[in-house]
Amino acid sequence: MAVHPAALRQHAVDAAHAPAATGVWSWITTVDHKRIGILYGVTALAFFLIGGLEALIIRLQLARPNNTLVSADTFNALFTMHGTTMVFLAIMPFGSAFFNYMIPLMIGARDVAFPRLNALSYWIFLLGGLFINASFLVGAPPDGGWFGYTSLTLRQFSPGMNIDFWVLGLQILGVSSVMAGVNFITTILNMRAPGLTLMRMPVFIWMSLVVQFLVVLAFPPITIGLVFLMFDRFFGTHFYDVAAGGDVILWQHLFWIFGHPEVYILILPAFGIVSEVLPTFARKPLFGAPVVIYSGVLIGFFGFGVWAHHMFATGMGPVADAVFSVGTMLIAIPTGVKIFNWLATLWGGSIRPTVAFHYAAGLVALFTMGGLSGVMHSSPPVDLQQTDSYFVVAHFHYVLIGGSIMGLLCGAYYWWPKITGRLLDERLGKVQFWILVAAFNLTFFPQHYLGAIGMPRRIYTYGPGRGWEFWNLMSTVGAFGIGFSILLFLINAVRSLRHGAIAPADPWDGRTLEWRTSSPPPVHNFDAIPPVYGRDSFWREKHGDSRGRKPAPLPPRPEPHGIHLPSGSVWPLVMALGIIIAAAGALIALPVVIAGALITVVAGWSFALEHHRNPAHVDQVGNLGVDHRKLAMWVFLGSECLFFGTMIATYLAYKGRSLVGPHPHEILNIPLTTLSTFDLLMSSLLMVLALHAVQNGDRAKARLWLFGTAFFGLIFLGFQAWEFTEFVHEGLTLQQNLFGSTFFVLTGFHGGHVALGVALLTTLWILDLRGRLDVRDAVKVEVVGLYWHFVDVVWIVIFTVLYLIP
Amino acid sequence: MSTHGHAAATQDSHTPDHASVATYVRVALILTAVTALEVGVIYIRFLTPIVVPLLLVMAAAKFVLVVMFFMHLRYDPRPLTGVFVGPLIIATLLALALIALVGTLLTLH
Repeated sequence: MAVHPAALRQHAVDAAHAPAATGVWSWITTVDHKRIGILYGVTALAFFLIGGLEALIIRLQLARPNNTLVSADTFNALFTMHGTTMVFLAIMPFGSAFFNYMIPLMIGARDVAFPRLNALSYWIFLLGGLFINASFLVGAPPDGGWFGYTSLTLRQFSPGMNIDFWVLGLQILGVSSVMAGVNFITTILNMRAPGLTLMRMPVFIWMSLVVQFLVVLAFPPITIGLVFLMFDRFFGTHFYDVAAGGDVILWQHLFWIFGHPEVYILILPAFGIVSEVLPTFARKPLFGAPVVIYSGVLIGFFGFGVWAHHMFATGMGPVADAVFSVGTMLIAIPTGVKIFNWLATLWGGSIRPTVAFHYAAGLVALFTMGGLSGVMHSSPPVDLQQTDSYFVVAHFHYVLIGGSIMGLLCGAYYWWPKITGRLLDERLGKVQFWILVAAFNLTFFPQHYLGAIGMPRRIYTYGPGRGWEFWNLMSTVGAFGIGFSILLFLINAVRSLRHGAIAPADPWDGRTLEWRTSSPPPVHNFDAIPPVYGRDSFWREKHGDSRGRKPAPLPPRPEPHGIHLPSGSVWPLVMALGIIIAAAGALIALPVVIAGALITVVAGWSFALEHHRNPAHVDQVGNLGVDHRKLAMWVFLGSECLFFGTMIATYLAYKGRSLVGPHPHEILNIPLTTLSTFDLLMSSLLMVLALHAVQNGDRAKARLWLFGTAFFGLIFLGFQAWEFTEFVHEGLTLQQNLFGSTFFVLTGFHGGHVALGVALLTTLWILDLRGRLDVRDAVKVEVVGLYWHFVDVVWIVIFTVLYLIP
Repeated sequence: MSTHGHAAATQDSHTPDHASVATYVRVALILTAVTALEVGVIYIRFLTPIVVPLLLVMAAAKFVLVVMFFMHLRYDPRPLTGVFVGPLIIATLLALALIALVGTLLTLH
C-alpha cells in the first residue's frame, strides 16, 4: 500500500519526539551516541576507581621502609594493573565518553556515522576490560609492567597465564579503539552541519580528530608487537628469542611507536576541552584558534617521531639518540604554543571562576610542570640519570593527572548540565578542586626528589636510612588526599542527580552548538539541523561579532525524509561476547576458541545484513562528497598500512639473522608464487568489472564477476596452502628459525585478509543470487572492492620483498 | 524510534566518474607485464647491482596503478588521497626507521 510522503515525514518526526525507551534492554541494544557516551563514562569511572584502589595499596606499601603489607609478586601485579587500567580502561575511555556524547552535538549531527559499530566498540571495550581484570579472579593478574618488556614477558620468565591475559586483553581493546577511531574520523569529516567548515570546527572537535588519527595509526604497531609476543608465548616462534637471532629491543620499539602517540591520545582530549572552557568563561574567543589547531596537528605528527626517547638507556647509538633527542625538543614547541594561547585568551577576559574554569586553569599550571620535566628527558645524558627512577613516575603523573585528569574533570563539570540536565554544586566542586591540587602536588612533587636521590621505580620496598622515608610517607598521605577529592566528586555527582538544580539549555552562555539544544538533548539531538554562522557559531548567533552585529538568520536545512534515527541492535553485544569467549578459550581449550569464533562470525554476519536495506542514515553522502562507508574504508586501509608496514619491516629487519636453515633462497618457489601473484592481480580486474556491472545494473555480469573474484581469491589461498605444506615438509615451520616465524606470520596474516575478502565477496554474491543486490548497493561492492584491492597491493609489496629481493 | 521505512528508496546511488572497462583491462595488462619483468630481472646477471632499486620501483609502480585505477583514487575527492597517503607515508618512514634501528640492512651506529 502506498504511503503519502507527508505522512511518512510526520511519522518520522513523531517517532523522533517519542520518549526515549527505558529499561535494561534499551541500554543493551542502544546505538544512541549519547547513551553510549554515558556507558563509556560510567564504565571508565568504575575502572578508574579500581585503578585508584590499586594505587592506594601501592602507596600504603611504600609508606614506610621494609613494609610487608603486600608481597613483591602482588606489588608487581598492582603496578602493572594500575598502569594498564588507568591508561586503557580509564583515561582513554573517559575521552571516548566525551567524544561519543559531544562530537555529534558539537558538529550538528544526529548521531555518529556508524551507530552500531559504535555500540560494538563499547561492548568490546567493556568485555575486554572485564577480561583483563578477571585475571585477579583466577589468581593470575598481569605482572610484567604496563609496557610488558620482553624478555620478562616471554613464557620462559613468565610461565603463568598472567601475561596471556594482558596480551589477549590489549589486542581486544585495540580492536575496539581502532573501530571507534574510524567511526569518529568519518563522523567528523563527513557529518558536519552545513557551513561548519573544518576551520570553523570547535578546537575540541579538532583535537578529537587528531586523537582518532593517532589511535588508528598507533595501535597497529603495538598490535603487531602483541601478535609476535602471543606467537612466541603460544606457538614457540622466535620474534623476541635472542638465542634464535631475535631481538628483545624490537618489542620496545613496537611498544613505544604506539606508546608515545598514546601520551597524546591521553592528553589532547584534555587540551580540546580546555580550549572550549577557557573562552567560555573568559567570554573571549580562543586566542589564535587556528594556531592552536595547527599545533595540535603538529603534536600528532611529531608524536610518531619521538618514541625512542623512551629507549635512550638501551644504547641505540649517537645518531639515533641525536635524532630522537632533537625530535623530542621540537615537539615541545607546539605544546608551548598552546599554553601561551590559553594564557592570551585569559588576558583581558571577563573571567567567571566556575569549577570548570578552575580545572582548566589547573591544567595549564600543572601540565606545564609535567611538560617541562618531559623536555628534560629529551637530553640523553640527563635521561640516563632519570630513567627508571621515581623522577619519571613524577613526570608522567604530572602529565596524566595534572594534564589528562584535570582536563577530564574540567569537561565533566562543564558538560555535566548538558548530559544530566542538572547542575553540580559549585562550592563543593571548588573544595574538591583545591583538595585535589594540594594532594596531587603532595603526592607527586616529592617523587621528583626521591628519583633524583636514587629511588628506583617498581621496587616493592626499601630499607631505612636512605633519606626516602619522609617523602614516601608524604606521598602516601597525598595519594589518600587524591582519593578523598575523587570521593567528593562522586558525592557531588550523586547529589546533583538526586537533588541538583535543573540546568537550562545554555547554563554557561556557551559558544558551540551543543548548547543550542535542551539539557539533556532529545534523542534526535536537534529539532532542525542547526545553522552555522562561523567559528563559535552559537555565540555569534546570540551576541553577534566583536561589534555586536548579529548574522542574518539562516533557514533550517531541509530534511525531506524527516528525522531518521537508527534502530537498536543486540548484535554488537553478541559479537563482542563471541570475541571474548574466543579469547578466554585461548586460555582454556581449543573448542572454546572455535565456539567463540563461530559466535563472532554468525553475529558479524547478522550485524552486516541486519540493516542491509535500513542504513543508519538516510543520506550516507557527507561533506566530503563521498559515502560514509567508503570514507571509513579508506581510513581503515590507512590503519592497515601501519599494520602490514610494521610486519614487513620486521621481516626485513630480521632478514639473514636465522641461525639455522632452511633459508629463503633454499626454499622459496618463485615460479609458483609468480602464478599466484598473477592470479591475485587478475582477481582485482574481476573486482572492478563486478563493480562496473553493479553500477550499470547488469546483474548477470555482476554475479559472474563477483563469483570470479571470490574464486580467484580461493585459488590464491589454495596456492598458499600448498606452499605452506611444502615448506613444512622441507623443514620450515613457525618454530624452525627466525625466517620461518616472520615468513609464516606475515604471509599467514595476509592470507587471513584474503580469506576475509573471499567471505565478503561470497556474501555479496549470495545477496545477488537472492535478488538483494542492485544498483543502490554499488557502494557496498565498491567498499568490499577497496578492501580486496588493498589486499592485492599488500601482496605486490610482499611478493617483491619476500620472494624477489635477493 | 526508527523510521526506516523509506530509507532504502533514497539510499545513495552515487556513481563517480570511474575508468572505462578498456582502461581496467589495459591496467591489468600492464600489471601482468611488470610482474613478468620483475621476475625476469632477478635472473639477469648484469642487473644484479641495481636489482633491488629496480624491483622496488616496479613494485611501487604496480602499487600506484592499482590504487589509482582499481581503487579509483584518481577519480575520487582529494581528501580520500590524504586519508590514505598520509598513513602510507608514516608507515613507510616508520618501517625504514625500524629496519635501521633493529635490523642489519642499514647501520646508524
